[in-house]
Amino acid sequence: MNESYPYLKLFGLTFNLTNDIGILVTAAIAFCLVFWLARKPQLRPQGKQNVLEWIIDFTNGIVKQQMPGPEGNRFGLLAFVLFVFIFINNQVGLFLQVDVSGKTWFRSPTSDPVVTMSLAMLVLVLSHYFGVVFKGFKGYLQGYISPVPFLLPINIIEEFTNFVTLSMRLYGNIFAGEVLVLLIRQFAFSGMGGPTSFIAGFVLEMVWQGFSVFIGSIQAYIFVTLAMVYTSHKVVSE
Amino acid sequence: MASLGDMLFLLVTFAVLLVLVGKFAWKPVTKMMDTRADKINNDLDYAENARTEAQALQEKRQAELKNSQADAVKIVSQAKENGEKQRQQLVDAAHTEVATLKANAQQDIAQQKQDALNSAKDDVAELSLAIAGKIIGKELNADDQQTLIDSYIKGLGDANGTH
Repeated sequence: MNESYPYLKLFGLTFNLTNDIGILVTAAIAFCLVFWLARKPQLRPQGKQNVLEWIIDFTNGIVKQQMPGPEGNRFGLLAFVLFVFIFINNQVGLFLQVDVSGKTWFRSPTSDPVVTMSLAMLVLVLSHYFGVVFKGFKGYLQGYISPVPFLLPINIIEEFTNFVTLSMRLYGNIFAGEVLVLLIRQFAFSGMGGPTSFIAGFVLEMVWQGFSVFIGSIQAYIFVTLAMVYTSHKVVSE
Repeated sequence: MASLGDMLFLLVTFAVLLVLVGKFAWKPVTKMMDTRADKINNDLDYAENARTEAQALQEKRQAELKNSQADAVKIVSQAKENGEKQRQQLVDAAHTEVATLKANAQQDIAQQKQDALNSAKDDVAELSLAIAGKIIGKELNADDQQTLIDSYIKGLGDANGTH
């Protein structure tokens, strides 16, 4: 994973193919997985349906924790898809990284800040939109001067810090994980100490990948939780 | 500017994913989950109702059992009473009948005894008259003869000690 990517210019826009391929592959995996799990749902759940229902209960739990009222029903699907998408995004790069002739073609899309910022923006724009939908434009604006008017500048700054922390936390964790995966691989193939470094690198890589799976899951959970926290601030009237 | 293209690509992909997952996975599964929750609710309500109903029936049955026990006791005691009464009646009837029969029989016996005595008296009188006529060849006056016989018979009875 070096910092050189293939680019494609189309309609006056430039596409980073590494990100786009990763996003497309992730979305395909996510859809196929969920579609397969949701085949033939039954009243008495069995096998794969239990897995899917557990995930749905899990994300619904995240939503309901922040929005116990009827507002929460609108966000169940968003939280579910967001969680599955980010979770798979975080994991794909751990098992598959493709470098061809000095260019990176495949790695976790979330190890690029553009992708995480896009996700954070999506969530925050949605939160503003639903804030207006649920509370009206006046109620939405009043949210900026509550609880007291002189907090207005802080509330405005908060919108930007929310955006930055939400995206950068995810990016930093996944990026660091993938860099270390790459470093361990280079160490294993460096030839220092012959087979010793290879075996040590092999073991280290396995350990680090396992830990990164954990980090990726936690980060997906944190991202969805914070997304719902920010949304609930905008949506729920105290 | 690479980031704008990527951002649009991500947003479009995510939107499509959202729609597809919502249509093909989320909707059927959550619908099934809701159906299940409803069914469990209904079943719980139904079980609660059935339980209370069963309890009511049980109480009713208990009360009826108690009633029927009282009824049975009453019926048995009544039957006993009736039986006793009937037995008494039968015994009384038998007693009176026996008494009547005994009285009748005694009367009959006395009558027959009287009749036998009377006829024996006549026979003996005629017989002794005939014998006496034959023996003494003399015709006795029938009245004299009669008194004689009577006195004899009387003496006979005294000797027997009956009359």
